[in-house]
Amino acid sequence: MNELIIYQLASVPAIAALGIILGLLFKGIDRVLAARMQARIGPPIRQPFRDLRKLMIKENIVPKNAVRFVFNGMPLLAVAASITILLYVPIAGFLPLMQGYGDLILLLYLLLIPSLALVLGGFASASPYASIGAQREMVSMISYELPLAVAVASIAWLFSRAMPGIASFSLAAIAANPVWELVGPVGFIGLLALFLILLAVMPGEIGVIPFDTAEAETEIASGMLVEYSGRNLALFYLADAVKTVGFASILIAIFLPYGISGTLSLQGANAVAADALFFLLKLFIVVFIGRVLIRVAVPRLRITQVVKAYWGYATIAALCGLSLIALDAILLAGGC
Amino acid sequence: MSEGKTFKIAVGPVHPALKEPVQLNCEIEGEQVKHVDIELSQVHRSIEWIGTRRNPVQVVFLAEKICGICNICHTLCFCEAVESIAGIEVPARAHYIRTIAAELERIHSHILWAGVAAHELGFDSVMHYTWKLREKVLDTTEYLTGNRIGKAIVTIGGTKRDIEEKQFGKIREACNYYRQNFSRLRDIFLKDPIIKARARDIGILRRDDALSLCAVGPTARASGVKKDVRQDEAYAAYPDLDVKAITPKELLGEIRGDVYDRIAVRLLEVLQSVELIEKCLKQMPEGKIAYESKLAKVLSDVKQLKGEAIGRHEAPRGEVFHYLKMVGEETPYSWKVRAPTYNNILSWIPMLKGAQIADIPIVAASIDPCMSCTNRAAIADGKELGNEKLHRLSVEKTRSLKKGPGSERGNCN
Amino acid sequence: MTAMLRELLKQLFKRPFTNKFPSKRIPESVNGFLEKAEKGKAKINPAIPVPEGFRGRIEYYREKCIGCQLCTKVCPADAIVFLPKEKKVEYHLFRCSFCGQCVEICPVKALEFTKEFLLADYKKD
Repeated sequence: MNELIIYQLASVPAIAALGIILGLLFKGIDRVLAARMQARIGPPIRQPFRDLRKLMIKENIVPKNAVRFVFNGMPLLAVAASITILLYVPIAGFLPLMQGYGDLILLLYLLLIPSLALVLGGFASASPYASIGAQREMVSMISYELPLAVAVASIAWLFSRAMPGIASFSLAAIAANPVWELVGPVGFIGLLALFLILLAVMPGEIGVIPFDTAEAETEIASGMLVEYSGRNLALFYLADAVKTVGFASILIAIFLPYGISGTLSLQGANAVAADALFFLLKLFIVVFIGRVLIRVAVPRLRITQVVKAYWGYATIAALCGLSLIALDAILLAGGC
Repeated sequence: MSEGKTFKIAVGPVHPALKEPVQLNCEIEGEQVKHVDIELSQVHRSIEWIGTRRNPVQVVFLAEKICGICNICHTLCFCEAVESIAGIEVPARAHYIRTIAAELERIHSHILWAGVAAHELGFDSVMHYTWKLREKVLDTTEYLTGNRIGKAIVTIGGTKRDIEEKQFGKIREACNYYRQNFSRLRDIFLKDPIIKARARDIGILRRDDALSLCAVGPTARASGVKKDVRQDEAYAAYPDLDVKAITPKELLGEIRGDVYDRIAVRLLEVLQSVELIEKCLKQMPEGKIAYESKLAKVLSDVKQLKGEAIGRHEAPRGEVFHYLKMVGEETPYSWKVRAPTYNNILSWIPMLKGAQIADIPIVAASIDPCMSCTNRAAIADGKELGNEKLHRLSVEKTRSLKKGPGSERGNCN
Repeated sequence: MTAMLRELLKQLFKRPFTNKFPSKRIPESVNGFLEKAEKGKAKINPAIPVPEGFRGRIEYYREKCIGCQLCTKVCPADAIVFLPKEKKVEYHLFRCSFCGQCVEICPVKALEFTKEFLLADYKKD
């Protein structure tokens, strides 16, 4: 047992490094793809790494009126929470490191922490723009949590019903049993709705257009981040990058948990490599749809419209998905 | 959110939403704008003052530098004023060339504005897309005048360059390009549900407000005021072209005076400009391009003029107005420039009342503001000056200008 | 939304619209970079040709100049300064606004447009 703990502890930095590298890499890919879609050349893919290095060596300015320890502490908290997400999510075919210590509910809370850190950091920086941004972030957090919670609860309910006896909120269990196989045709549509809703929550969760009202460059000059500079800004930048990978991995674990090694009948190291590559491909697809495509194809919403979109349309769609799954369960039970 | 408690935020003078310095002091309650105060004069370049220290031939190109985007309109106004003082008759062909240049400028300016508006909405893809479309008109301008932006084609008594028969092909090609892309732009801007949600019923300027605030150009036309210098007091080649002021009614069927209407008006004006250029090419008469081809002769002709005159032009943003007074010296005695933003800027106040913070950038951009063209004064100690004293000083200044030389001259503040 | 999305996806598979800057990075000195490129040491992205009658850098032929000062009278930017001792003028590129009045008025064609447009630099030389 002790050995296991040591092994786990040793793996944490490795996962953190992997998360950071993947996050920055996907940020670079995101920027290049967005640029190409806009008929621009765009930066090289390694640009986020350079940005990070540059920000790290820049002066770290703390405003005079800011609450110093909150202002400086929040970026660290954001990065720490984002990396912790990765410890609970299966990545590249490996089981989550902290398997058995936490489940989907914990992940929901962990996902909140970087945003909360931004909010507190915004309030602590004593700028009217940052305050407006922080207020907006809180409002949009409340908005997207609702459809997200409904969707996650629906999945858990599906599991508890279809496979009684296993921990229904355990992400590893969900990943081991693809959800699509648990439902009939009606439930399939319901699941598809839930999948689309999680994809729609993704831009809100990682704060990109159209749901980036809290940062809104042209309105409130990047809102909560307006007073941040240097190392602190770099940490927020990092947290954003890692969180993107984290949220996309959760989506993959729930809806696209398939590996490729079985289909190609590979074994040993080849299988691991193939699965890892396949995971990267899935990650790419999710990030492309949930981040790149959405952010280039629509303008920014007003905060009232964000609330309307999430509480109204997304929540109704999530409830519809839930009822379709329930209906499917009844139909299946009736059929048996 | 805090009920009834207002706080202040300053948008500008340096803010990502505003491309030029101006300050909007907004009183905010929650997300709603309760009150707006505009603080102008953040950038004053004393161009008029420089202009009164140069001869008219030099000022033509100084006028071009008033505004980077609409450089034809200021040059044209100034030349019109000089021509009417000196009694110079501009050849018909020059009028047509000037019109083509002015309409190319309108296409360029409106498409540039469309991109800026999209950027204010956070829709950068559309900004890049529209600016990609704009390249065609810039290339055409470069082909005709020798530079992409600074055209340097209008001069006193005519134009500097001719547009020859062999160049018509490229202009027609550009016209066709915009004709084909018009429907695409219309779909992107007017059919997109989110742009519609962000622009419809936002920043409404009612017709009576537009009239009482003397709004000009697309801002006034989008509110249903049929006002266009090209139609009302046609100059250059416009009398032959039969220009009609455009209102959003033609495309949308109704007039609401909101941001959406202003987008529609500008898009329609791009199409109108294309039509005007095509008409110009068809009707262009033969003849000289300037009353005098030797610049040295022009220089001596305008050296000792006496009299005063105005020049007017419908710039892409609205009416530009120049006043010029010469008293027999080499340099103008007084030169006054009024850019369209000067009229339009106060319409921000009715537009922004009750709007959300998120609407400030797009509403501010919707009048297509151009600050350095507008600012004609810099106040160093504005706080102590007060409205009354400022008014008195302005009246004194105007009187001294009216009296002419002999009275105190100079510090044009 | 759909109209723009279609356009964006189409552009994803097209070549970027941007014209490449002649050099990959900003060169320390433009002249130095051009010299290097001539010797084949640096790669230069071919410039998009400028049209006939382009108003680029103005070339001043000192030996042709007769010192009539007409150009100084029409220059709006005071970019041309008369040197009374030598009866010649001095042309300051960094003040020039490329209006072309001096080229037009010069009786002996001592001033001429070139097609050079890569003029931004850190030093005034």
